[in-house]
Amino acid sequence: MSDRDRELMERYIYQVVKRLPKDQRAEVALELRELIGDMAESGDAMEEVLTQLGDPAEFAEKYQDKSRHLIGPEYYDDYLWFLKVVLICAGTAVFIVSVVQGVTGTITPGFLDVAGALGINMAVAGVFAGIIAGIGNLAVSCIGVFGGVTLLFALMERNKIRFERKKKKEWSVDDLAEDHFAKGISWTPKQLAPIPHKKALISRGDSIIGIVFIVLFIMLLIFAPRLFSAIFYEAGELTVIPVFNVEQWHMILPLFIFGLVIGLADEIFRLVVGYYCRAVMISNIVCGAVQIVLAVVLLKIFPILNPDFATDLMIHLDRERGVAEWIAAHWNGQTISNIFLAIVIFATFLEIGTTVYKTLRYGVEN
Amino acid sequence: MGEERDLLGSLVMELRRGVLVLSVLSQMGKAKYGYALVQSMEDKGVAIDPNTLYPLLRRLEKQGLLKSTWETGGSKPRKYYERTAYGDEIYKELKHQWENMACSMEQLLKEG
Repeated sequence: MSDRDRELMERYIYQVVKRLPKDQRAEVALELRELIGDMAESGDAMEEVLTQLGDPAEFAEKYQDKSRHLIGPEYYDDYLWFLKVVLICAGTAVFIVSVVQGVTGTITPGFLDVAGALGINMAVAGVFAGIIAGIGNLAVSCIGVFGGVTLLFALMERNKIRFERKKKKEWSVDDLAEDHFAKGISWTPKQLAPIPHKKALISRGDSIIGIVFIVLFIMLLIFAPRLFSAIFYEAGELTVIPVFNVEQWHMILPLFIFGLVIGLADEIFRLVVGYYCRAVMISNIVCGAVQIVLAVVLLKIFPILNPDFATDLMIHLDRERGVAEWIAAHWNGQTISNIFLAIVIFATFLEIGTTVYKTLRYGVEN
Repeated sequence: MGEERDLLGSLVMELRRGVLVLSVLSQMGKAKYGYALVQSMEDKGVAIDPNTLYPLLRRLEKQGLLKSTWETGGSKPRKYYERTAYGDEIYKELKHQWENMACSMEQLLKEG
């Protein structure tokens, strides 16, 4: 073998092994030296030999037994479905929150004066600024969500984590059979779930709308709690009277969010299962019960509502005595809390009742 | 026409890929080095590209069907591959499957 041939051979080997994991390089290089040497000895010129072996990148690829895809066919459908749901939920919520934040952030005394002086309709200007901010945040969050979901599935693919949807097969005498080829079969027709009754299906649209609203509410509570306020703009002065007890917010917010997240978990579970069954019913009852307890804690133990709301409003509205007095007379923290609590309990029971009825009447039992 | 040839080519390749492991295993009862295997298979009418065979041999070794030893006595080090006991067992089973399949296929193709 001439020096030039040897040089060509070493270049080729280098191009192959540099693409392989470190611990395989030395041995593959030895194998290739043997192979190329043998091929050259059988009469072909070095260039011919290397041409026959083909592109070193392709050769190296054949040595890789690792999977060469990010998300394989096993996960692809779940990935697409999950991505779609998360994009819709996060995208809608982020967009609306950004628009609201943009609008409320823009409507400040300074901005209003400038807008007034220029003769621009301030509401239009604010909404416009908010929508621009919303589109920007929407794009950023969608890219973030896409990356996050893809990363999650890529990790699952790498570690071969599988959602275990099927129950473990019951033991049977067949398990004793020592058949290599039958061992791989884990699916049997016994696992086929009955076709759910039409009325047992949970509408995906409803679930997604529910999720969007909960996410939206959570984000507004975190990022813009002052949005839930009575806002006045008079004589160059902006007055904000929050409905919630903003001074105690650091104590109230976590509990509030906790309650909403439980509701969110229940909604997501319904979306994933897709029809009324015992699991959905139990999840709904448990989540509903926890939410009622939290509502009692928030409304009766913590004063979630701003105790000064009525007083502040009255001071502000003193010129319109009729309205102010009406509110002052009716803004009784206890009464309002009780009304809210009654609404929460009624709504929760209504939902649980619907779920229990549909489950018992049409539900799928395995 | 070109497309048709591509399709035929890829179908033939798929067919060959299916029997690749079986054909390699059949030759590994006695220790052989890679290029000798390429040549002996070519002589018997089963051409296999070295850039397919070498990675395949490594994979079969990793799966425990083959074992390898380096011979350093000759002009250059050579890696010899040979079937393991487990490889023998799997080969026997595969061969049996192939014989059944070939028999049924012959029957099917006669009807075509």
